[in-house]
Amino acid sequence: MNEPGFLQEDAFPGNDPPEKKPSPTDEAKSARFRTRLTIVLAVLILVPSMYGFVGKFYEFVRIYRGDWEGSFAIAPMLNYLLASGGFLCLFFWATANRMFHDIEEPKHAMLDNEQRLDQQLGGKP
Amino acid sequence: MTSDVKPLLPRHDDLVNERLVAWYFLAALTFLTVSMLAGLLVALQLIRANPLDGVELLSPARWRMVHTNAIAYGFLANAFLGCLHWAIPRLTLRPVASVALSYFIFSAWQFVVVCTAAGIILGPSFQAQDWVAELASQLHISMSLGAQGVEWGETPFWIDPVAQLGLLLVAINFMTPIVRQRGPMYVSLWYFMAAFVWTFLTYGMGNFMPEYAVGGVSGGAVGGLFIHDLVGLFVTPLGWGLMYYFVPIMLKRPIWSHGLSLVGFWGLAFFYPLQGIHHFLYTPIPMFLQYGAIISTIAVELVVTTVVINFIGTIWGDGEVLKKNLPIRWFYCGMIYYFITCFQCALQVTLTFQKLIHFTDWVVGHAHLVMFGVFSMWIFGIMTYLFPRLIGRDWHSRKLCEIHFWFSAVGVFIMFLDLGLAGVFQGYYWASLAPWDVSVMGSQSFWVVRAFAGLMMFAGTLCFLVNLYLTWRGPVRELNPDIDVAPALA
Amino acid sequence: MFESKAGILGIAGIGFFLFAFISNVWTPILMYKDVTEKTAEEVVNYRVMAHFGDLNRRYPEAFQEAFGEPTEENCAAALRLGRQLYIGEGCWHCHSQFVRPVSNESKRWGPVSTAEEYQNELQRPVMFGTRRVGPDLSHEAGRRSNDWHAVHFFDPPLVSPDSPMPKYTWFFDGAPNKPNKRGLAIITYLQWLGTSLDSYPYYEQVNADAEEDY
Repeated sequence: MNEPGFLQEDAFPGNDPPEKKPSPTDEAKSARFRTRLTIVLAVLILVPSMYGFVGKFYEFVRIYRGDWEGSFAIAPMLNYLLASGGFLCLFFWATANRMFHDIEEPKHAMLDNEQRLDQQLGGKP
Repeated sequence: MTSDVKPLLPRHDDLVNERLVAWYFLAALTFLTVSMLAGLLVALQLIRANPLDGVELLSPARWRMVHTNAIAYGFLANAFLGCLHWAIPRLTLRPVASVALSYFIFSAWQFVVVCTAAGIILGPSFQAQDWVAELASQLHISMSLGAQGVEWGETPFWIDPVAQLGLLLVAINFMTPIVRQRGPMYVSLWYFMAAFVWTFLTYGMGNFMPEYAVGGVSGGAVGGLFIHDLVGLFVTPLGWGLMYYFVPIMLKRPIWSHGLSLVGFWGLAFFYPLQGIHHFLYTPIPMFLQYGAIISTIAVELVVTTVVINFIGTIWGDGEVLKKNLPIRWFYCGMIYYFITCFQCALQVTLTFQKLIHFTDWVVGHAHLVMFGVFSMWIFGIMTYLFPRLIGRDWHSRKLCEIHFWFSAVGVFIMFLDLGLAGVFQGYYWASLAPWDVSVMGSQSFWVVRAFAGLMMFAGTLCFLVNLYLTWRGPVRELNPDIDVAPALA
Repeated sequence: MFESKAGILGIAGIGFFLFAFISNVWTPILMYKDVTEKTAEEVVNYRVMAHFGDLNRRYPEAFQEAFGEPTEENCAAALRLGRQLYIGEGCWHCHSQFVRPVSNESKRWGPVSTAEEYQNELQRPVMFGTRRVGPDLSHEAGRRSNDWHAVHFFDPPLVSPDSPMPKYTWFFDGAPNKPNKRGLAIITYLQWLGTSLDSYPYYEQVNADAEEDY
């Protein structure tokens, strides 16, 4: 009945020791791969959605041209576009001010702390 | 950490109040059981097999509201609070504001949930008393002793202020360590921080505005915003925040991209609150607002895609873990369901789809997949991981844990497919102008399948409870030399 | 700003919430601010009074005990109580109150719902509903007689054989011809829904009676 430890650490096959660091060429390769993957995914997502959005927007403009209710239908869209545009500008400004220079750091710190907390508890340094 | 000399960390026991976490989990499981029994009652009523029909205090319609409220405030809120008592102190390396306050919040919250259930069940029985009408005319408020007329906001009016105060205390208790923390914050804490503000604001908006301040169609807009925000700004950020915490620590590798996770955060913060009105399309709420809600709903699906990609990137190349590690399987199964519901959402908010499926069981299936298939499954995963540590014993039986997973995951998916199909049938029956009874009779077979799917989920949960009991009764066992064995639950 | 706690709390926590609140809630409030909200007394009309009087004639003892005389004031009180019961008993989770302009709904239930129908005390909070297990009730008044409703509440399959609706026996003192205060109130409420509309086609006889009585 007591099948030991399916929650235990040795149940994780991907638990490589942190000392084993990939070589610089490997890192450059994987960075390039990631950039490419991101671009492909961005295109895959953005192109169809922009196609849908711009198409619908153009349809609204055509249907309601000269009709005052039409401006009502377009108003919230402009509203959202302006707000997200403003937000995007803030984002660029923040990037220009080097706010995101070390954006990936917290995820490593978090994992590090977690492991040290658990080690401490076991009484092992 | 760039420097080699690492600062000494506080001890886990000083950070986390494990007893409180366990209490929250036990309260959550209690209310989950109540809610599932209520769901079973309603399911039996729909297939006209309810043996208790005609008993006032077991009225299926009242228990239908207990079903949803016990899930939202009894199960999800309690379980989330338990998880937060574990995650926030460990993430910030600081304990919560006050232990006494934590225990007070725990008891106050159980009081709120029990009062809500009691009000919903007993309230209508006393509604016809003369003193109720007299008080109502003196105080100029509608003295609705039982449920109030806003979905998810049925909490009786006399308990609303207590719940609101409780949420404020929760925010203070958890914000203290977060605010004291220095340096860049991990994404989980972003979600948690925002969620405390949002939950407080959302609860206040939905439980006071439509009842006291805004009537008619505008009140409907508030109600729509409330039911949507309660899922989007209370459950979703807490759920994703916990995923961003538990997935990396269980996989022992960092999240794929912290930057992308922040994109997800800001996307959710911007687009989610704008969608409330999509629950009431084709109502007299101005049409241009309905269009706006539809557009932002479709926009949020793009954000959801980035989040899901991030988690797939995290586990990439390590898929074997899904076989062996049960919590990770709960988490990733929930994420797949999340992606399905969101994809479904992008389609079903369009006016074309709404024409057919609004008011049908399609929506009910969608809601079950979100609440049970996603967030409850994540919580089960976290409980499966934490309970052995909390009570200092390894799980009594892995087999029961596996049954719990498969019954829940398969049961809820059957229910989702079944109700989705039922919704399409109902939509066509109604549009065809066939007599109403035709649509009810046509739904019967779907409702029977739904009842069995529900029983399957319930059986899974019972396995979990039995397993938990046997584990608790079993001998204390060293889990792992590296993991602290907590004192047994007294 | 994007990485500081104040930024998260201010922009995401409060700012975006307010933006959504203003655009999605404040706008309809402003648009409908000139349509005044009527009280329960103001929405009592001769059609619902006809049914109220009819309840008095059918169940005199119970009616006298619960509401006294069938006056407009008492009718408003009955409507308030009926609506509370409609909410408290969870009727709105299986019945909607809103006819959509699509899916042939106006053929089944009459004219498409308008904003004016909802600007009154008895629609606060509004009872749009989100699920239809049973039919829409927004234009229910006059479609069926009071005794039909009484029997239906007591045991739905008696008059609607396939109905999965639960029994509401606690609206009665043991028999369908003995409704108590709650039963009378909720029937009054149902016979009010939709009485403000121009088209009220299903119960012409009551209309004629009412104008004589009233």
